[in-house]
Amino acid sequence: MSSVLQKLISPLPGTSTEPPRNKVTVVGVGQVGMACAISILLRDLCDELALVDVMEDRLKGEVMDLQHGSLFLKTSKIVADKDYAVTANSRLVVVTAGVRQQEGESRLNLVQRNVNVFKSIIPQIIKYSPQCTLIVVSNPGKYHIWSGRGKASCVTCWCCKPFTVDILTYVTWKLSGLPKHRVIGSGTNLDSARFRFMMAERLGIHASSFNGWVLGEHGDTSVPVWSGANVAGVNLQKLNAEIGTDADKEQWNATHKAVVDSAYEVIKLKGYTNWAIGLSVADLTESIVKNMSRVHPVSTMVKGMHGIGEEVFLSLPCVLNNGGVSSVINVTLTEAEVAQLKKSADTLWGIQKGLKDV
Amino acid sequence: MATKDKLISHVLKEQPVGSRNKVTVVGVGMVGMATAMSVLLKDLCDELALVDVMEDKLKGEAMDLQHGSFFLKTHKIVADKDYSVTANSRVVVVTAGARQQEGESRLNLVQRNVNIFKFIIPNIVKYSPNCILMIVSNPVDILTYVAWKLSGFPRHRVIGSGTNLDTARFRHLMGEKLHLHPSSCHGWIIGEHGDSSVPVWSGVNVAGVSLQTLNPNMGAEGDGEDWKAVHKQVVDGAYEVIRLKGYTSWAIGMSVADLVASIVKNMHKVHPVSTLVQGMYGVKDEVFLSIPCVLGNTGLTDVINMTLKPEEEKQLMKSAETLWGVQKELTL
Repeated sequence: MSSVLQKLISPLPGTSTEPPRNKVTVVGVGQVGMACAISILLRDLCDELALVDVMEDRLKGEVMDLQHGSLFLKTSKIVADKDYAVTANSRLVVVTAGVRQQEGESRLNLVQRNVNVFKSIIPQIIKYSPQCTLIVVSNPGKYHIWSGRGKASCVTCWCCKPFTVDILTYVTWKLSGLPKHRVIGSGTNLDSARFRFMMAERLGIHASSFNGWVLGEHGDTSVPVWSGANVAGVNLQKLNAEIGTDADKEQWNATHKAVVDSAYEVIKLKGYTNWAIGLSVADLTESIVKNMSRVHPVSTMVKGMHGIGEEVFLSLPCVLNNGGVSSVINVTLTEAEVAQLKKSADTLWGIQKGLKDV
Repeated sequence: MATKDKLISHVLKEQPVGSRNKVTVVGVGMVGMATAMSVLLKDLCDELALVDVMEDKLKGEAMDLQHGSFFLKTHKIVADKDYSVTANSRVVVVTAGARQQEGESRLNLVQRNVNIFKFIIPNIVKYSPNCILMIVSNPVDILTYVAWKLSGFPRHRVIGSGTNLDTARFRHLMGEKLHLHPSSCHGWIIGEHGDSSVPVWSGVNVAGVSLQTLNPNMGAEGDGEDWKAVHKQVVDGAYEVIRLKGYTSWAIGMSVADLVASIVKNMHKVHPVSTLVQGMYGVKDEVFLSIPCVLGNTGLTDVINMTLKPEEEKQLMKSAETLWGVQKELTL
C-alpha cells in the first residue's frame, strides 16, 4: 500500500538534490556559538546551518530546539554532529570553541591548550570545506599570572595580560594553510559596534549614524581612531581638537574606556556575553555570503602595513565579500596610533613565536 | 560650547512622542532572552523593556543587547526591576517563573508560578492598563487563566502561547516526513499545551489535499505509517530537549515572536493559542485551552469554529477537566 507521501507528491524525473550554496557552520554550541547561530538564522543568511561540538547531548538538544522553530525560519536544513563530516561544503565556518584559564594555570599553558584544541578543529574543518572562509571568534580573554584568577576579576590588575582572538586567528591561519584573505578574526568588530553605540547615546542618535572606528588589538589596547570620528561627514575632532586626549574637558575618551571595560562588566553581571557578539558575527556573515563588499573592522594579517614586520593579525578596516578579505582600507593614523599598533604587534609576536606545533 | 551642541541643533518644539510599539518581556531567563532576541531581530518594536527580580543578570542582559544596537532597529532597550520601566507597553510577554526540571510535568509548576504571578500581573496592569498580555510561563493554560483573573482584563487581551509551539513542532516533523518546508505542511494541535494536546488529523493537509483522505487510518492504532508517533514526538519534544540541554529556548522564543508580530502588525493571522473556551466543545468551566484564534492589534478578536470528531471533542473536554481540577484548588 503506497504511503501518504507517494500518493500526495509526484517527484519530477531528472531532478536531483543540489549541494547547499550558502552553508554556514558554527563550531562550538556554547552561549556565543548559539547566539551566532540564532542571529544568522533570524537574518535568513544561509540555506544550511551545521553545528559541531564535542558535548554530544548539549549539541543534540540545541539542534533539536532550533529545528523545532524551523516553521519560523527560512533555513530548511539544520544539522549537527560531533563528526566534522556534517560541515562539508560550508561557505563560511564560525569558530567559537576554546578553553578558558583554569585556577592557577600559567599563560603559556593556557595558550598552548587552546592551540591544541584548535589543532583538533581546524584541520577537520579544512578537510571537509577546503574552499571556506573562516571567522575566528574564540576569545579566551585575560589571564592572571599570579593567582590564576579568571577574567572577571582582572579588570585593572597590572599583571594581567590579554590573550585574545588576534592570536587565535594567527593560529587558525597557520593550522589551516588557507591564504590570509580567507581567515578573519572578529577582532574589533564588536568593540567598534559598542563604541558607536556609546558615542551615539551621548549624541542622542542611532549607532549607525555615528561613524567611528576602533582598530588594532582586540581588548585593552584597542585604538579608537578619533581623527575619523564623524556624524554626517562632520568631523568631531574639528569641532573639539582635544577629543580623545586627557586634556579634553568633555572627557570623550571615557567612552572608549567604557568600551574596553564593557565586556568585563557584562561578564560580572550575567556570567558571559553572547547577544552582541552573535549579532556582530551575523553582520560579518551577511557581507561575506551576500558578496556585499562592505567595510568592517576585523582582524587580518597586517605584515607590511603601518611599518609592521611580523606575521600578526590586527584589526583594520577590511572590505569583506564572498572571497573573504578582498582589500584593506589604508587608514590615516597619527604617529601615536601607529606606535600603539606596533606595540600590539610586538606583544602578539612575543607570544606567537613561543607556540609549539603551529 | 559642547561638541554635541556644535554638531547638532535641536529643532523639535514639541515634547517628543513616546514609543508606539513597545514590547515588554518579563523574565530574563533563557526563554525570555530568546523571545527578546527574536523580537529584536524581526524588528517588531521601537522600544523593548526587560524586567526581572535578579538585578545583576537583568542589567547584564540589557547591556549585552544594547551593545548590539548598531545591528538592530530598536533604539530604546531598557531594563529595571521596577515595573515603571514597562509603562505604556502594547504587548507584555510573561516568561517568569519556575521551569520544568528533567522529567517533571508542566502541571507540577503551578503553585510556585501562581504566587509569582500575584506579584507580576498587578504591576504590569498598573503601568500598561491597555496592553495585551501574552503568557508563556508553564503550565501556560492555567497561568493564562490566572493572569486573566488577576488582571481584570477582558478575555481578548489575555492570550496564552499555548499550542503555537506544539503545532510548530508538529509541522516541522510533518515537513521532515514529506520533505517539504514546514510552512507548506498544515496541521493543528489544539487543547492543552502539554501531555494531553489534541492533533486534529482531519485538518492535516498539503495544498488543500487532506492527508487523512489519502490514509484513513491516520492517527489511529492500525496506521502503518504511525502518524500517531509524530504527535507523541511533539509531546515528548520538550522533555527530550530539556534532558539534552537543560531547558528549551529557541523554538519557544521564535514562536512567541511570531505571535507578537501578528499583534503589533495587526495581521489578523490565525494561530493556535490559549483562550477562554467555556461554552465551546462541551466545556462548561472557565478553562483556557488552545484553539485557532485570529490575532490583531486589539488582541484575540475571533476564534475559528473547528469541526471536530467526537473523539477529538472528548479529548478536549478531558483536558478541560484535568485543568479545572487543578485550577479550582488555587488560591488567587
